[in-house]
Amino acid sequence: MGRAAYFRKRLLLMAFVLFGVTVVIFSMVRILPGDPAFLILGDRATDEKAAELREQLGLNRPALEQYWMFVSGFARGDMGQSLLYRQPVGDLVLRRVPVSLALAAYAMGLAAVITLTFGILAAINKGRWPDQLIRVGFLFALTTPNFWFGILLILLLGLTLHWFPVAGFGETPAQHVWYLFLPALTLALQLSAVLIRNLRGQIILTMRSDYVRTAHAKGLSGSLVLLRHVLRNALLSTLTIFGLQFGFLVGGAIVVETVFALPGTGQLLIQSITARDYPVVQAITVISAVLVIVVNLVVDLSYSFLDPRVTYE
Amino acid sequence: MLARNMRSPIILAAVAALLIGACAPGGPQSATTQPQPSASSGPKVLKMARNAEPFSTFVPWRIDDNPALFISVNVYDTLLRTTKDGTGVEPGLATKWESTADGLSWTFTLRDGVKFSDGTPLKASDVKASLDMARGGEQSSWKDNYKAIKEITAVDDKTVKIVLSQPYAPLLSVLAMFSGGVLPADMAKATDAKDYDAGLAWKTKGTGAYFAEGWKKGDPIVLKRNPNYWKGKPAVDEVRIEYIPDDNTRVLKLQGGETDLIDFVPFSQIAALNGQPGVKAQTFTIQQTAFVILNNSKPPLNDVKVRQALNYATDKDAIIKNVYFSQAKFMNSPIPQGTYWDKNLPGYPYDLEKAKKLMSESSGKAGFKMDMQVRSGNTNFANTAVILKDAWAKIGVTVDIQTLETSVVRTNYRAGDYMSTPSAWTNDMNDPTQIVNYAMRGGASPFAYWTRYNNPDLNDKITKADLEQDAKKREAQYSEIQKIYLDAAPLVFIAYLGATAGWRNNVDGFLIDGLSYYRFEDVKINK
Repeated sequence: MGRAAYFRKRLLLMAFVLFGVTVVIFSMVRILPGDPAFLILGDRATDEKAAELREQLGLNRPALEQYWMFVSGFARGDMGQSLLYRQPVGDLVLRRVPVSLALAAYAMGLAAVITLTFGILAAINKGRWPDQLIRVGFLFALTTPNFWFGILLILLLGLTLHWFPVAGFGETPAQHVWYLFLPALTLALQLSAVLIRNLRGQIILTMRSDYVRTAHAKGLSGSLVLLRHVLRNALLSTLTIFGLQFGFLVGGAIVVETVFALPGTGQLLIQSITARDYPVVQAITVISAVLVIVVNLVVDLSYSFLDPRVTYE
Repeated sequence: MLARNMRSPIILAAVAALLIGACAPGGPQSATTQPQPSASSGPKVLKMARNAEPFSTFVPWRIDDNPALFISVNVYDTLLRTTKDGTGVEPGLATKWESTADGLSWTFTLRDGVKFSDGTPLKASDVKASLDMARGGEQSSWKDNYKAIKEITAVDDKTVKIVLSQPYAPLLSVLAMFSGGVLPADMAKATDAKDYDAGLAWKTKGTGAYFAEGWKKGDPIVLKRNPNYWKGKPAVDEVRIEYIPDDNTRVLKLQGGETDLIDFVPFSQIAALNGQPGVKAQTFTIQQTAFVILNNSKPPLNDVKVRQALNYATDKDAIIKNVYFSQAKFMNSPIPQGTYWDKNLPGYPYDLEKAKKLMSESSGKAGFKMDMQVRSGNTNFANTAVILKDAWAKIGVTVDIQTLETSVVRTNYRAGDYMSTPSAWTNDMNDPTQIVNYAMRGGASPFAYWTRYNNPDLNDKITKADLEQDAKKREAQYSEIQKIYLDAAPLVFIAYLGATAGWRNNVDGFLIDGLSYYRFEDVKINK
């Protein structure tokens, strides 16, 4: 199967997955106990007022009708009204997507640099102290919850050294880059912890192969062999994990956005789940699902560029 | 060989990666040296970090959340204001008021020269339009408070007349509530439309010290000084309120100098912050109580002796010390320390012997099991529950702590599907009528704060106190009401709480008043 045919097949599959996501998220938010009417009106609201609000919000219509409104609206690009904020969900969510995407991209960029640096460093020092140090160090990053890790970074790099702002998003694009560094680093260090282990292993494995020995025998310099022959092959499996971890980034961003007070979708999602703001929760979940699916597709497609022998079946 | 050649470029790359951020625009310098506003250079900006974002439509009578309310009092004025200690009223937009002898007709004279932030003069018709919306608008959340009002008329541009259908003692306190904030008449009327665009409400036009030109959720809220403010020019030109939900992050931002002022400092960090240079933190007395709601309809909690025993078995000092880090006070009466609070009531001092004796005389003498439903995420409630579980075990009560989401706890106590749950109350007005009607009146929703306690005699006394015009007699009536409710012990009374805030040393005059409002017009920034 060619690349184009494979792509079409994946798109079809994506439609099925999205259908599943909408059904699951729609049912899940409604199965959760808790009445949005009282969350909106507050503790002191009367039952009549709550009933009135439920009517107004369409919460007492049959579930199928509500589901149809959600899906058909989404297809038209209308994500409905936020129950809590009485604003179009599109306005609320879409202006936050760039923040979360920027955070994810930033974290992936940092993770790539960190992974390449320390993965190679560990591999070429296999068994010696730099290798041990890197492995133990990143094990620490991996096992520490990211809300705690974030606070540690704030304390060290923000409060003590004053290199970075403590929290917030800044106001100009230049400030955004600077404010996003610590949250992105928090995510990147955890992401790298997984990737470094994999890359290190792959490099060590690849370095043992015949063609690498041949390359050395031809008299190529060490760095040339590593970059051109070893890394290119070793990266393939690391890249797969990299793509899969995008889901982890979207999840991790929820916590990190709260700790660093970033106005992204993760922070909005937490508020909306607590407030049972169904349309907002649905919108963010579906948008995140689309993003994860697309990123995975791009990663799968990129194999054939990295390794021309790869074909799709 | 290979290894050695590779090492240095890799380390360089690592260092470079870390520096990308550090050298990014702005550079490390601007992190520490924030542009400090000074008298000579540029506007004075107060930066505040707050724990929550508003969600209500930003129209005084449609506001139903604290973050919106706190901003509202800085933007919209009311006829009267609550005094700073929260126990009385003082002039606001009205400078004078008088009533007829029967207390049914009230005349208010408006202050001279008051203008909205856009320069339009305030007229009595604006006051009438706004109050009519607050008491009768489709979208008003606070209609119940204005039930006694029959008619409001603008006699002339400076005079507002309010006619009541029956005498209503809390009227002045009600008129000092944020929900009666005054908008220009046309704007007030427009807000009641079903399809009113909530975004428009943030382009404010009030007579208060500050105004907003718009706000979108996720952005900082920017308040600008009202050049026409009747009390004179506020010292701070601009207030920028940022939303920082995490308690620790907020405190760190203050310590790092990235913000001048924060709210909701965790009780545990007040002392520590005060020990550090450059910052201050304080707990302000507000009209707030912490208690445990008991379901009085579930045996054996229907037995007053059991409820009293639980009260005596509660070590308030332990809770105040360990949960509230000594930033709270013993709760001697069922109502907060505001108007008509009876300071002579004894409350339930910790007395284990008395508790055991009461238990042995009660229907619960064999001991019993009960659930305590705790709202997840509220550490104060969770810690209180742990202490209570331990304390009540000593009188044979086994507490089953269930941590549930707030919405679930609410649904459960509204349905009567619980035995106990920790809770808190904050007065929205300086008159006790609000808490008394909500928390003590039984028989109908909200069933005496969902306790299902119902004492028809007490219900009558509550109704009477609302009608009484004589302040002395009213005080006596409320003393009696407090005592009856305290003795019946539908709740476990714990503590009076405070509101906390922290600020940089150059911030002066910040104060949270008795109703937990703060006004930026009182704040100065010193260089």
